[in-house]
Amino acid sequence: MTLKSRTAIILSLAAAVLIILWKPTVLIYGVQQAGLYAAIAIPMGLVLGIVHIVNLAHGEFMMVAAYATYFACKATGMDPLVALIPSAAVTAVLGWIVYRLTIRRALKAPELNQLILTFGLGIALSQGINILFTSQTRKISLDYVSASLDIGDLTFGVWSFIFVVFAAMYAYGLKFFLTRTTAGKAALAVGQNPKGAAIVGIDVDRTYGIVFAIAMALVGAMGALFLTRSAIFPMVGAPFTMKSFCLVAMAGIGNIPGILAASLLLGVSESILRAFRETRGWADIVFFVLIIAVILGRSIKRRKS
Amino acid sequence: MKKLIVIAAAACMLQLVGAQGTIKIGGIWPLGDITGKQGSMAAQLAVEEINKAGGVLGKQLELIVTDDELKADKAAAAVEKLITVDNVDVLVGGMGSGAEMGKIPAFKKYGKVVMATGAASYTVENALGADANWYFHLHPWDYNQGASYADGWDAIQAQYKTIKIKKIFLAYEEGAFGKASMDQTKKLFGNRYKVDGASFKSAALGGGDYSAVLEAAKDFKPDLYIWAGYDADALPMLEQAKAMKFNPGIYLGAPPGWPIGFGTSRLSANVMLYGMWAPAMNDTNKVSKKFYDGFIKKFKEEPATYFAPLSYSAIYILADAIKAAGSVETAALIKALEATKYDSPLGEVVSFSKSNVIAHQGIKRQKILQWQSGRQEVIWPFESKTATPVYPFPKWK
Amino acid sequence: MNKNLSRLITLVAAILAIFLPSFVGAYPLQVARNVMLYMALAVTWDMLLRSGQISFGIAGLFGLGAYASVLGVLRAGMPAWVSIPFAAIFCGLAALGIGFLILRLRSTYFSIVTLALAEIFRIIIHNLHDFTGGPEGVVLKDVIFGGAADKLYWLTLGGLAVSLGASYWFEKSRIHFALTAIRNNETSAKSSGVNIFSWLLVAFVVTSAIQGLLGGIFVQSYGFATPESVFDANFTLLPLAIALLGGIHSTVGPVLGALLLGLAAEWLKLQLPYGHLVVYGIIIIVVILFMPQGLLGIARKTFRAADRRKA
Repeated sequence: MTLKSRTAIILSLAAAVLIILWKPTVLIYGVQQAGLYAAIAIPMGLVLGIVHIVNLAHGEFMMVAAYATYFACKATGMDPLVALIPSAAVTAVLGWIVYRLTIRRALKAPELNQLILTFGLGIALSQGINILFTSQTRKISLDYVSASLDIGDLTFGVWSFIFVVFAAMYAYGLKFFLTRTTAGKAALAVGQNPKGAAIVGIDVDRTYGIVFAIAMALVGAMGALFLTRSAIFPMVGAPFTMKSFCLVAMAGIGNIPGILAASLLLGVSESILRAFRETRGWADIVFFVLIIAVILGRSIKRRKS
Repeated sequence: MKKLIVIAAAACMLQLVGAQGTIKIGGIWPLGDITGKQGSMAAQLAVEEINKAGGVLGKQLELIVTDDELKADKAAAAVEKLITVDNVDVLVGGMGSGAEMGKIPAFKKYGKVVMATGAASYTVENALGADANWYFHLHPWDYNQGASYADGWDAIQAQYKTIKIKKIFLAYEEGAFGKASMDQTKKLFGNRYKVDGASFKSAALGGGDYSAVLEAAKDFKPDLYIWAGYDADALPMLEQAKAMKFNPGIYLGAPPGWPIGFGTSRLSANVMLYGMWAPAMNDTNKVSKKFYDGFIKKFKEEPATYFAPLSYSAIYILADAIKAAGSVETAALIKALEATKYDSPLGEVVSFSKSNVIAHQGIKRQKILQWQSGRQEVIWPFESKTATPVYPFPKWK
Repeated sequence: MNKNLSRLITLVAAILAIFLPSFVGAYPLQVARNVMLYMALAVTWDMLLRSGQISFGIAGLFGLGAYASVLGVLRAGMPAWVSIPFAAIFCGLAALGIGFLILRLRSTYFSIVTLALAEIFRIIIHNLHDFTGGPEGVVLKDVIFGGAADKLYWLTLGGLAVSLGASYWFEKSRIHFALTAIRNNETSAKSSGVNIFSWLLVAFVVTSAIQGLLGGIFVQSYGFATPESVFDANFTLLPLAIALLGGIHSTVGPVLGALLLGLAAEWLKLQLPYGHLVVYGIIIIVVILFMPQGLLGIARKTFRAADRRKA
């Protein structure tokens, strides 16, 4: 790293720290948002890194899981957190079925076909839910979501920290799975070199199915968790698909812990811009500027080396 | 053989008479959205009721519904189809301002009467121009709404002496709807109250984090806190406000609709809202009750937004005018519509008068309501009132 | 397929297309305009795809062209018909600048960056309230040609002709070999002396200019623009689906795909007013699964089988 870029980084870090000391809630809410983004993006990173498909229906799977959780909780009176595991299981099964029926066939076709397949899948899912349950929003009202903490003259909500917990669990859980377990190591091998893995005797197709199901399980759990904080409606998943795709690209495909760093950068930057009246409308753009900056920067570095 | 020919001829004549015997209404709504879907359903209900009572001028009404998908190009295609292929006599419907903009060139081309049930943006009015005398705008313009609320708060503060408003904070979503709300609020309230605001990304469009606007609001310490967003923002914002212990004197939401079951949440207690209609009006308004009962009986679901009774009114207004004019001919129909005095389920007697640009603006007055015990109660206008306001907004425990 | 036969078919299709307004009414012309717009966009996407680069930024350049056209009329007093080629030139120049930044990227990273750029354009236009009208957008006093259905149809047909012409030129000239070589194997292309960057830049600038042109045509045909309406993600995703369903790496493929999806969408709407979009999604899934080479692939297989039977 050159002296110029090192001083630039130190200066921006110092500026960030100053802002955070002035308005500490910026850091708190930024980290909470980062947790939400990361927890949703990590399953997409897993699928992209190993099965090498961009699942444009990613957000829609989460939406379907959230709807299923909503109706289950309404019918049985259970809490969405209790429904987390069943939701994960059901979404995993759904993912497995979708994989075997549709995605598996498209894997032999060019990458783009898989993209458009998932695009069509996303439309079918969101419009299907729209027909069944209309576009009206639904939410379960829970008391603990408003849990708050008082520190000095700061009062802030703490429930959203659970997303940070889940994001960390997902990232390190997957890292453990991929590097320490046999199935995981096989998956990693398949991700890096499918033909080589097949030669060594790994059942590539079964591995893809398992990985997709695991990713959908994670998405399903997130669907249940998402329901506690946000209202659901048929199109609620779409913006998260794009954000996740961008975060995964920013972290670098195959780099799951990198997604945590990317989300943190994104969440805190958004939070800083939102805190001030003049910059509020530009909070969205920082996301895309950062992505371009990181991707271009990496490409320039690679070319220089 | 002769008998067959006579029967065949009679059948043909009946077909002809039958075909001439319907008055065709072309309806354009966003059918994929609850507002448009129920709008079209309510219009169907009105058509059925009118037909059962004998129709109009001896003919049955026929409603042909097309989806505009909330898109300008699809809306334009819908107008073309209804007029050139289905040969409708009048047009009705509309919800989003963007789609309405797409229809305007086609409207102007054909000049048929349009009973518009949507489009609040002043940009639509500007695009229409003063010559569009065939356009009857049932839904209030955004500035009508703003002016109405200014009147409403004056009346409420005059009537209920404990309610005092000096500072107003508006949290507005960053799209066209939110920005228009902010501009209107600043313009109409800015000279008598201290007004401030902050934008947020609505959960309906991928946002959902209100910490920044709530912090800004908290710092401002408003007497009246208003949020202009969508139904997806209603509960999450309340939950986050509770988490930050933000307690304005009046907490008011102005979304076009509310989430399912909002009333069952404890957080809904005493949230105020801007609107045009609520099922509570069945208690005081006979037309509202007739509409509501009919809707539930036919569709087995509750009307979720005011677009349902508004579209219902649109059909009745058109039918009454066609009866009065004696035909569907445009000039005669426009004259008859100008004389409209329709007692609507919204509690307003609808008549058309001039607004900023166009000559035929219908409803100009909104309502201020409050959630009490899980039900939306009308607080103002006092003629439609169903409850007295609870003030201030309860402190979070 | 016989070259003379294909030339004859193209001629007949062109004549039918030009004289369409004489035998159909305003509604089919409106539908035809929508189909042609997406067809033209799909063709431009395919043109860049032939180099191996997948763009997710069509909406960005389309919207940029739309606003260039609208603001050209409103802020610079251009006549409407001048603002449309102006939009094309503006987007071409923008693409030239952007291309130097991003054309070194490959595959997913290139795609993400084009997506990010499209969003950046949208947000900038959304935020510059005074210049661009902000989220409420801007309205033109008149629609071009006074909204006459046939003239608007011919305007869009003109845009489509430009797109098809450019694609055909890409297929028949040296560009074809350069792009195919780059797509197949960059290293061997480079060692054969192909200047990869220049060819990519040419493809990117030409396709972006056409996308801008189409944006100008769109916005002049409807008389208004808002950030949400012209930067709609559907302008990126539907041309992709159309090109894939029709058959990529060709001009005919996207044409077929647009006809299929466009007409199917309109027909479905009439049959199922309340549920047509679900069926639309299912059609995409089914076609992609069972016709991975697209309609063109099926057509090629049929003709090859017919030829074999003849021999």
